[in-house]
Amino acid sequence: MIRSTLSRKIFVVINTLVLTAITLLGIIPFIHLLSVSLSSNTAAMAGEVKLWPVGFNFDAYRYLGEKVEFFRSLGVSVERVVLGTAVNMFLCFITAFPLAKSVDQFKFRTVYVWFFAVTMFFGGGLIPTYIIVKNTGLIDSIWALILPGALSVWNMVLMLNFFRSIPRELDEAATIDGAGQWRVLWQIYLPVSLPSIATIGLFTIVGHWNSWFDGILYLNSPDKYPLQTYLSTLIMSINAQMQSLSLEQIKAMENLSEKTLQTAQIFMGALPIMIVYPFLQKYFVKGMTVGSVKE
Amino acid sequence: MKWIKPWKMILVATMTLSVLSACSSQTKDSAGSSSQTSSKEENKTSDATPEPLGKYADTVTVTEVLGYNPPEDPRTPKGITPEQNAYLKDLKDMLNIEVKYKWTVPSSQFEQKFSLAMASADLPDIMELDPKNFEKLKKQGMLADLTKAYNDYASPELKKYMESDGGFAMKTYSDDGKQLAMPAFEDPFLSTQLLWLRKDWLDNLKLQPPKTMDELDKVAEAFTKNDPNQNGKNDTYGVALQKNLFFWGYDLRGFFNGFGAYPSDGNNQTAWIKDSGGKLIPGLIQPEVKTALGKLQSWYKDGILDKEFALKDDTKTVEDIVAGKVGIVYGEWWYPNFPLNNSVDKDPKADWIAIQIPGLDGPGKSLVPKIRSGKAFAVNKSMKHPEAAIKMLNYYIEVGKKKYQGKTEAKDGFVYNWFNPRIYNPASIDTIYTEVNKALDAKQTEITLDDENFKDVEKVFQARNDYFSGNTQTGSKGVNWGLYFSRAAKDGGWGTTRKIKEAGAYVNNEFYGLPTETQVEKGAQLDKLMQESFTKIIMGASLDEFDKFVQSWKSLGGDQVTQEVNDWYSKQAEK
Amino acid sequence: MRTLKKEYIFHLMLIPGVIVTLIYAYGPMAGLVMAFQQFEPLSGFFHSKFVGFDNFTYVFNMPDFKQVLWNTVVIAVIKMVLALLVPLILALLLNEVTKRWFSRFIQSAVFLPFFLSWTVLGGVIIELFSLSGPVNGLIASMGLKPIMFMLDNQWFRGIIIGSDIWKGMGYNMIIILAAITGINATLYEAAEVDGAGRWKQMLHITLPGIAPIIIVLGVLSLGGILNAGFEQILIMYNPTVYEGADIIDTFVYRLGMFSQQFGPAAAVGLFKSVISLVLVSVTYYAAYKFNNYRIF
Repeated sequence: MIRSTLSRKIFVVINTLVLTAITLLGIIPFIHLLSVSLSSNTAAMAGEVKLWPVGFNFDAYRYLGEKVEFFRSLGVSVERVVLGTAVNMFLCFITAFPLAKSVDQFKFRTVYVWFFAVTMFFGGGLIPTYIIVKNTGLIDSIWALILPGALSVWNMVLMLNFFRSIPRELDEAATIDGAGQWRVLWQIYLPVSLPSIATIGLFTIVGHWNSWFDGILYLNSPDKYPLQTYLSTLIMSINAQMQSLSLEQIKAMENLSEKTLQTAQIFMGALPIMIVYPFLQKYFVKGMTVGSVKE
Repeated sequence: MKWIKPWKMILVATMTLSVLSACSSQTKDSAGSSSQTSSKEENKTSDATPEPLGKYADTVTVTEVLGYNPPEDPRTPKGITPEQNAYLKDLKDMLNIEVKYKWTVPSSQFEQKFSLAMASADLPDIMELDPKNFEKLKKQGMLADLTKAYNDYASPELKKYMESDGGFAMKTYSDDGKQLAMPAFEDPFLSTQLLWLRKDWLDNLKLQPPKTMDELDKVAEAFTKNDPNQNGKNDTYGVALQKNLFFWGYDLRGFFNGFGAYPSDGNNQTAWIKDSGGKLIPGLIQPEVKTALGKLQSWYKDGILDKEFALKDDTKTVEDIVAGKVGIVYGEWWYPNFPLNNSVDKDPKADWIAIQIPGLDGPGKSLVPKIRSGKAFAVNKSMKHPEAAIKMLNYYIEVGKKKYQGKTEAKDGFVYNWFNPRIYNPASIDTIYTEVNKALDAKQTEITLDDENFKDVEKVFQARNDYFSGNTQTGSKGVNWGLYFSRAAKDGGWGTTRKIKEAGAYVNNEFYGLPTETQVEKGAQLDKLMQESFTKIIMGASLDEFDKFVQSWKSLGGDQVTQEVNDWYSKQAEK
Repeated sequence: MRTLKKEYIFHLMLIPGVIVTLIYAYGPMAGLVMAFQQFEPLSGFFHSKFVGFDNFTYVFNMPDFKQVLWNTVVIAVIKMVLALLVPLILALLLNEVTKRWFSRFIQSAVFLPFFLSWTVLGGVIIELFSLSGPVNGLIASMGLKPIMFMLDNQWFRGIIIGSDIWKGMGYNMIIILAAITGINATLYEAAEVDGAGRWKQMLHITLPGIAPIIIVLGVLSLGGILNAGFEQILIMYNPTVYEGADIIDTFVYRLGMFSQQFGPAAAVGLFKSVISLVLVSVTYYAAYKFNNYRIF
């Protein structure tokens, strides 16, 4: 297929080199984390570990195996990702679909679009949001982490644009066949949008997995924390505005010495989500045959 | 135009929905707060003579919120949560008080979460307050008067603690003759600055511990240039420092104090010292500060300070200390607890000593605050049993006694730092020091002391014995050494501080009020100004920048702050 | 009547989204009144004192505010441009990789830093660029003088921008890749027949094909013109680089250090919102007018 001219060959070599370099850059922090977690604690405390373990041992992972908190919060995270992604994706579809129509198909689309778009720029801040979440009775339940962000306008706009690249003829043909718009969405749009679903699904999953602050705000006891919320409490250092440490804080400082264990948890915390991506990748290819962009 | 109807309907529906849910949650709330009064009638049944540890006939439910750190003891059962704390069960058995947590959160997020609780008017019965929140709640009249509860119910031990500073801390938390909170405070001398240095390095270079700034200068230079660790490499520097010049550790408070300069007690805001006329002056802009900055500048040039100190946070500086890259660090008595214990574990030769800070001619005077108290316990005005809070304070002190030995073990799920309200013996460190040394002098094999301090004293005594016998079952060599050397060793952290206290080699920071109005408004700017100017001077900008800094500081609000602080001071004198 | 019948299903589909948005996005907007109040949590929105535009004048009259605003815009604009350009180039390069396993592997690796927080990455980056770090090691091996990257205003800005692009480039890259896969394969086959090389195919098929999504990403990112990366800068900066790297958000953060100041923070938030909305609206209509393309 591809003609192998000399310039093409040179390009391929350079391209491979550049991409390999970028790949290395992306992996370095993880190798560093892995090395620290596999080192002796004193070497880690002394900052001696770079890209290779110093005083190699598996102690941190052995302790981690007994860390009830880690596995408990891992479970919560999985629950959150599954529930949250289902809700987000559903809302994203049914909202993006009508808005992807042109004005002649759906007269009021622009009004709705701006209704949603404004919320991308204006927010009320922490306290009012908290009060609303509290008044809707979500505090201390997993829905507090899901419902307030159930419709990501950003993702919806992306989805809307992907939907638009689907040829209008498909839609019209189906309508003539007597299919309702509801069926058009599920039976025609969805199957041909797999790459975009995979993309937005990935962002949604990652978003739910990575967010930690809402857990602190809306959950009332740490045994309900998702993984990243739990992890954030490990690496948070002592408030810099302290003039002096109280006796208790001094004792808490001693606990900070468990550096290898902390690192092992951070590393293991990122691992599950790293596995998700390659899994979703296969859908990026399937949609290849879908038609071109329509002006 | 027909479309408007469904549109309106949606709007109306959502509005009612949110209003409805707001209402329903409100009723839920009020139901929640009434549950604590389930034992209303109990008032009558309680005995006439108040007993500090008297058991309620009917269960009294108390709501709390908790900001907590992880359990300290590695033997604590895995995965335990604050609700499962065995202290709570024990409290219920002993006093019939049941604690319900409205929420619990890791301590670093407590402030955030508490301000949300204040904003949504959802406060618990017993609260742990910092001075700012105390002031706010006091103004709103939301705190219960504890005077009577304290007088009637406080145990002799609690009263002893509260009066140990002549009632000074109690007074700061009272208003108009009403005791509005019980302060948890510590001996202010715990803030005394010491100089920690590597004795093994001094010995390697045949140097003596420095007494004056000039001697320190020589030692620091030798630590930088003469290979103090004798590994044949030029891999060490003199004095540890991180990017905040004034902080809670690894900073330069003690260094400045050595020059008779008192710029700050750790929070980037100036400290206030008394001048000859009895007025308070900001230590940050005194000429001594300029002299000290000059010395730092030359140290930076000579590589005695890390060239990149300005980008190191406390964890990075700790790395250097543990790695044996630096052998001098200013700070408080507790360093052996952390991070010096790690240094000792890393390098068995590491031998850290504490000395009084070197001054211009002979040892210098450290800055000591008037009061060391970050928090107080207050009771919500709506609570029916304010005395329950006092009883709980009594309870925690009580179970530290020897007769409870073995009954509040971490392995059985007792997590002491999750129990609130809890007030320590303000002199706890000094008590440990005296009692351990008493036991050692009498060649005892165990602690015979029989009061509420037993548990703490015993722990240090045990660590000391483990350290000398090489027993590492309960903790590494460094951990045992750290406990012993910070608290009980005569030449250790507290031992040295004690001598300074007795010799009166200190200067007081006279201001201990809340930030003044101008400080709140301009504080961030003044802080940025100071950090930028000082860091740049140390890194080589002209020393005259300091004079410019003083001018800007004054005109940007510093003069106003000085005025406000002096107003506060004269009001304080009237009290 | 006819439109309603045809379109009612669309309205129905939008109901759940509208409800969620009304409650959780519009509901809290009542809190914008804080910008005009001396807000005090205990008093709430109804009993806090109204102070008009005092919060705005307080912040805008701070002596450093102009510098801070300038820093914010400079850092944000460069980040904005590169955050689009770099992923675009990456995606185009990746598209030329024929070995599928290699392409997938690179995609995963590029996306990796996105999973780590700045708290973790900040330390790694400071380490990389410190005097004893590998970058200075490289410089020294070339016989040049070491550079204190993190303590120099110009270098520091560069590192802030570079590391942010590096951390986030996987995100836009994936969107663009997804758009590329959506291009009709027959177009390429036809071009192949016409004898167009890879370069020409990229110029005339791939780029026009992904143009709409690029415009969408570009316009939406304009909304972030005053967001220069709060968490990142807070973790990485230090007093020596305040001059070049102190941004609005870090500035406001420090305002609250001595006592939480809700009013000024809300005022700055509102200011940022208005600017973003104006910018995005203008570009939205510009794109519509000149290109007849509605980005949303």
